[in-house]
Amino acid sequence: MTQVTLSGLTKIFDQKNPPAVDNLDLEIESGKLTALLGPSGCGKTTTMKMIAGLLRPTSGDILFDGDSILSIKPEERGAVMVFQNYLLFPYMTIADNIGFGLKMRKVNKKEIKSRVQDMLDLVQLPGFEERKPNQLSGGQQQRIALARALIVQPNVLLLDEPLSNLDAHLRDEMRVLIRRIQTEMGITTVFVTHDQEEAVVLADKVALLFDGRLQQFDAPDSFYDTPNTVEIATFFGGTNFIPGYYLDGTITTDIGVFDAPHSLVPEGNAVLSIRPEAVDLGEGGENSVSGTVLSHVYAGRYARFQIRIGDIEIEAVTEPGQVKLFADGDNIPVKFDPDKIWVLGTDTEKHPSAAYTG
Amino acid sequence: MNRFRLSERGAERLSISVLLAPAVAVIVLLFLGGLASGFLRSLNYFPLIGLNDFNFDAYFSIFTDNGFLQSLVLTFHIAFTSTLIASILAVASALLLRPAFRGKRIVHFFFSLNLTIPHLVGAIGVLYLFQNSGLVSRIMTGLDLIQRPADFPAMVFDPWAIGIIIQYVWKEIPFIGVIVLAILLSVGEDYESVARSLGANRWQAFRQVTLPLIMPGVVSASVIVFAFTFGAFEIPYLLGRTFPAALPVLAYQSYTDVDLAARPQAMAMAMVIAFISTLLIMAYMKLSRVYIRE
Repeated sequence: MTQVTLSGLTKIFDQKNPPAVDNLDLEIESGKLTALLGPSGCGKTTTMKMIAGLLRPTSGDILFDGDSILSIKPEERGAVMVFQNYLLFPYMTIADNIGFGLKMRKVNKKEIKSRVQDMLDLVQLPGFEERKPNQLSGGQQQRIALARALIVQPNVLLLDEPLSNLDAHLRDEMRVLIRRIQTEMGITTVFVTHDQEEAVVLADKVALLFDGRLQQFDAPDSFYDTPNTVEIATFFGGTNFIPGYYLDGTITTDIGVFDAPHSLVPEGNAVLSIRPEAVDLGEGGENSVSGTVLSHVYAGRYARFQIRIGDIEIEAVTEPGQVKLFADGDNIPVKFDPDKIWVLGTDTEKHPSAAYTG
Repeated sequence: MNRFRLSERGAERLSISVLLAPAVAVIVLLFLGGLASGFLRSLNYFPLIGLNDFNFDAYFSIFTDNGFLQSLVLTFHIAFTSTLIASILAVASALLLRPAFRGKRIVHFFFSLNLTIPHLVGAIGVLYLFQNSGLVSRIMTGLDLIQRPADFPAMVFDPWAIGIIIQYVWKEIPFIGVIVLAILLSVGEDYESVARSLGANRWQAFRQVTLPLIMPGVVSASVIVFAFTFGAFEIPYLLGRTFPAALPVLAYQSYTDVDLAARPQAMAMAMVIAFISTLLIMAYMKLSRVYIRE
């Protein structure tokens, strides 16, 4: 098990363009599954290639268990990368593909053979030894690529968009397989994805990158509950934002004053954010205001309401049973649970540090 | 309905045949016709000069002739050595030219420039540079590396055909190199990256991954080069010894011999060259099919 530390890691491909990776600091915990999340072109894969030694950083350092590995050749780092498009060697059998890393280490043939079989069992494709890559489906090739990486017992496993080329059904299967193997073998694993749902479902911790910069590095639920910026909250989808002024645990907005004990800013101009599913309809009392139902959609497992409060429209998601309680045009009380309100700064400046609570 | 469709297809076939006829006629008359008449003459059938009996005398005489066998060995040596050296250097230069670097376009232009220069010009260049009285020899004399120009090792008209091989290598490196470079660029560097991260060092990644991926291209380009250097006449004629001469030169010498009786032997030699070239092309096609299947 290996702890990976990125320190001020920067990669500039071309002076004319902004850095692909910009001063990235990250502690990737030993034995955990960490996601590098971000839109395409945000520097995720570049970061991964630098960890693997396939790209040289422009500046900064990469440490494995506290020791810099920049001068260590890729083949000696023990950081194995699995590419998005699998890249099985087309002219080799599946057995030769999986055994490749051991052959490079001059392990004897008998041992290679038995370990290849173990790997095929692990990825649930026993008996595939003599096939060629082009006889396999995409999902099977992905598993072979994983087996080929795991057989060398890497210190760090790097997965580049491991699920993006698979259809929905295979994706779920592969997700379970990766999680299971990772837990069993306890390999420090970093995977790159542009899909926030994938990151949240699979990872112990998520590092969100925009334009080569780290935006937030947290447990998955923090991105929903306590995002650092409006931008991040928007990336994770569907939150209500109401601008206001924050002082002494309350936020004053155009539609009312709300208790909000959880805030990222100590005081000043701020944005109240609350997720649609945290809005309670039909409940009065503290922290509630009056609103008008504009429209609603019944979607089976939930119902979605558009509510107007003053000049502001918000969205609320409720249990399906509540659909019948409110009709369009009804005036109803709308309550924001103080514990579910999250107050953010209005400026675009990033807040990489942990949240204030008070 | 069926009959109608058949006749339609028949008409289509007919029109294709008619359209192809001129090209086919040229190939049949000039190439196959020439081959057939050459083959007949190699079998000692040449009524014009009074040879009417079919026999294999010409083949017997060339294969028992020490000179012919020496020429055959020399020709193999020239073709094999040139192809091998050119292939290795071409792959190496393609690898050097692959990554992006400043001025790549200009370097690439100069690399492929001598594709456009005729072989003859290359041969003259080799003469000027590597004869005993050539430029290299005179520069070395001037630098006191050798005492007299005559001390310069024989590289033209020499028994090892060094001058010929230099000329072929110079000319064929860009030919193979451009093909290999195109394949390298289309294969990309990711396979190598995978190999490196799985624990292969640079050499292992090249040997185990990159080389097998580009091998079909290297093989097809080098078989073309081998077949060409095996059958080409002008370079060994200009830069080679008179004895033993390369096979195409020997065939030409026999053909232009005042003794008309040598004609069947010249034809027999030409047949042997054609036969070996055909064998090579067939072997190449088989090889490449095996690669494609894999």
